[in-house]
Amino acid sequence: MKDYLSVANSNLLFVIASIIFVFIIAQSLIFFRTAWKEGKRRGIDKSRMLKAVKSSAVLSIVPSIPIVISLIAMAPVLGIPFPWIRLSVIGSASYELMAAGMGANIMGVEGLGGTGYTAEVFSSSAWIMTLGTISAPLIIIFFLKRISGGYKKIKNKDSGWMETLIMAAYMGLIAVFIAPPITKGGIGLYTLLSGAVLMLLCTFIEKRLNVRWLKEFSLSLSMVGAMALSILYASF
Amino acid sequence: MKNNSEISFDSRIHILGRSTMSIGFLLLLSIPLIISLVWNIFPPIGKVASGALSLSLIMIPMGIAEILTYTPLIGSGATYLGFLTGNLSNLKIPAAAMALEITETDPASDDAEIISIISVATSAIVSAVMIFLGVLLMVPLSPILSRPEIQPAFDNVLPALFGALGAYWILKSWKLAITPLVITIAVFLVADVPTSAMIPINALLSIIAARILYKKGLL
Repeated sequence: MKDYLSVANSNLLFVIASIIFVFIIAQSLIFFRTAWKEGKRRGIDKSRMLKAVKSSAVLSIVPSIPIVISLIAMAPVLGIPFPWIRLSVIGSASYELMAAGMGANIMGVEGLGGTGYTAEVFSSSAWIMTLGTISAPLIIIFFLKRISGGYKKIKNKDSGWMETLIMAAYMGLIAVFIAPPITKGGIGLYTLLSGAVLMLLCTFIEKRLNVRWLKEFSLSLSMVGAMALSILYASF
Repeated sequence: MKNNSEISFDSRIHILGRSTMSIGFLLLLSIPLIISLVWNIFPPIGKVASGALSLSLIMIPMGIAEILTYTPLIGSGATYLGFLTGNLSNLKIPAAAMALEITETDPASDDAEIISIISVATSAIVSAVMIFLGVLLMVPLSPILSRPEIQPAFDNVLPALFGALGAYWILKSWKLAITPLVITIAVFLVADVPTSAMIPINALLSIIAARILYKKGLL
């Protein structure tokens, strides 16, 4: 059996990964352009749309670093192109590692990259990782139009309730990420509280001292500040 | 007239979403297929099918629940984009919600759809480029990013982000925050439920609580 890493790091897979990278950028640009044009047509101020671009771009830089770290962790086992693709689309690092491990397990191999992790097992990991995530895109392709139509009906019937519903759903999401550091305590909890304090501080400065530009970056600044402080907490 | 073009924007988004999502879907599926065909390595179909099936038993209900939860938050256009590139709950939705806030856009308005698409598209591009840079610079980057003294920072991205987000939004509408916070803290005290399963459940309970408050005029 061929050494699986020569398959996993082959030029062909690099080419496919590059195609998918280009596809992601192209898809985003097409949606961006469509929304931007429609926004202009509706008379949304250009500076307002630019604010959304700036804040989202800055906010997305730092949380992408852990993705790069998982890529570095997966590369020795699964090669570079396949984790590159998998981490760029759908899932998350934890899902991918779980699915890849499962792909190895069904072939009777203990873990990723262990002895016996052959090309055949690699191919099995690749199949499982891919097949496991195809359900959500299929549901979206066939049913999203109907689902969003349903929400539109709620909105037209009672837009005040829709606003509350959105906020409540968002609170549900936020709470799921706030609770673990609270129940576990330790560095996570200190970091959570630091993020909260920094954010309140930024909001206070922005509102009281009228530092308008701060609003766009206060979330990013608070996040990076709290991350830096977590290094300090860990050293005690 | 206005109504007409609004319908057409909505339809355009769905056409665009369905077509790009289908292409993306086929591209993804092509990878294991190419690995198998080019190198002639076919893992046993029975084993792969049973593995994929057991994974799907979790992924299908979770997918439905996630789509139902995230669509009202970011609109359909951003859902098409966001689901293909992933990292929704921990990056794209917070980014879009903050973008709506900064641009003073009512999340239930038609303009919210536009701002969300712009925000999620920007976030998707930045993430993709960052990962691409990671691939290009892997050799010089690995020793830097794996230094033990900076690991706490990257292990704590989520508490840092959601501490800041939480403070902002809890202050803004604390009445809506009480129920989901109490529920999640109680649940995580007794069990370690995966976040992706907990989000839709908690969102649903949070919406039910909000409905009661809304009906009673307590908001």
